[in-house]
Amino acid sequence: MGKAVRVIAQIGVLALFQLLGLRLAAVTHLPIPGNVLGLLLLYLALQAGLVQLKHIQEGADFLLRNLVFFFIPVAVDLMNWGGVFRQYGFRLALVIGVGSVLTFLVTGHASQWLQRRRQPCSS
Amino acid sequence: MQLLTTAFCMVLTLGAYHLAKTLNLKYRHPLLNVVLLGATFVIAALLALGLPYQAYAPARSLMTALLGPATVGLAVPLFRNRELVRRHAPAILAGIGLGTLTSVLSAGWLAALVGLPHDIVLSLLPRSVTIPFAVEIVKLHGGSQALASAFVVATGTLGSVLGATLLTWTGVRDPVARGLALGTAAHGQGTAMAFAEGPDQGTMAGLALTLAGITTTLLAPLLIRLLVPA
Repeated sequence: MGKAVRVIAQIGVLALFQLLGLRLAAVTHLPIPGNVLGLLLLYLALQAGLVQLKHIQEGADFLLRNLVFFFIPVAVDLMNWGGVFRQYGFRLALVIGVGSVLTFLVTGHASQWLQRRRQPCSS
Repeated sequence: MQLLTTAFCMVLTLGAYHLAKTLNLKYRHPLLNVVLLGATFVIAALLALGLPYQAYAPARSLMTALLGPATVGLAVPLFRNRELVRRHAPAILAGIGLGTLTSVLSAGWLAALVGLPHDIVLSLLPRSVTIPFAVEIVKLHGGSQALASAFVVATGTLGSVLGATLLTWTGVRDPVARGLALGTAAHGQGTAMAFAEGPDQGTMAGLALTLAGITTTLLAPLLIRLLVPA
């Protein structure tokens, strides 16, 4: 089997798990997106040995390497939203700026504190 | 004619992606963000050709169809690094849990403080997670996919410009902690900066990006009810 065929077939397996996730979300009425449930289902299937890395990793790596490409069409929607940035630009910058600083500080210090507590002798 | 326009829009987007990626790789500047730059090229071309947004919409849905399988594919790096996750479980759980809470709560409270409209607040809440998670969160709970993506890119750009310096200034030196902070606060763009620091920081940031995305998605129903009462 050629590399391209393998990548496409493996993306098909990932799409199948997405579909399973979407069905699960619909049946259970969980307020969780179907593709996140698909991610969790695939992880469990890997853990249980039902799916092996070699069945999906070339497809997954291909998509994740080119992930940024798929964001561009979503961002093109911004052509409908220019007014929001003219009207609220300063307030948005404030919220994003202050919020980001807080997130960096909390995540960085909380995890460093726990890392140091656990390995007091090393480094 | 519609088919031709759709094909043209896809070729246009691919071209814009390659141009943006080339510029980004050549100058390596965080402000030359591939998403923002690529979308700007596409929008400029559509405006120059007099094509309305509706002409682009079919190509958009075709191209974004692969976002779902790509999100599912994030299970692969997570599974590959499961030993690493287990080894650093306390730091990962606390860092990502508290970081995610801080990100969503600070966005909600600050937005209420400065008086932003309802749909903008909803689009701001998932600003620290990577676009596929953010898009799914606004699809489920309200808000605009485009605004949410723009806020994600703004957060990632700011985080990749300032994040590492901020961590150094405040004394965060542990590579695991730096990676976790960059991935949790600034998703893929922060992860790129973490890989520039070293492989340990980079791998940790990549794991944080996925785990913060999952955590935010799971907490969203609760936090949104708390922050934005309908």
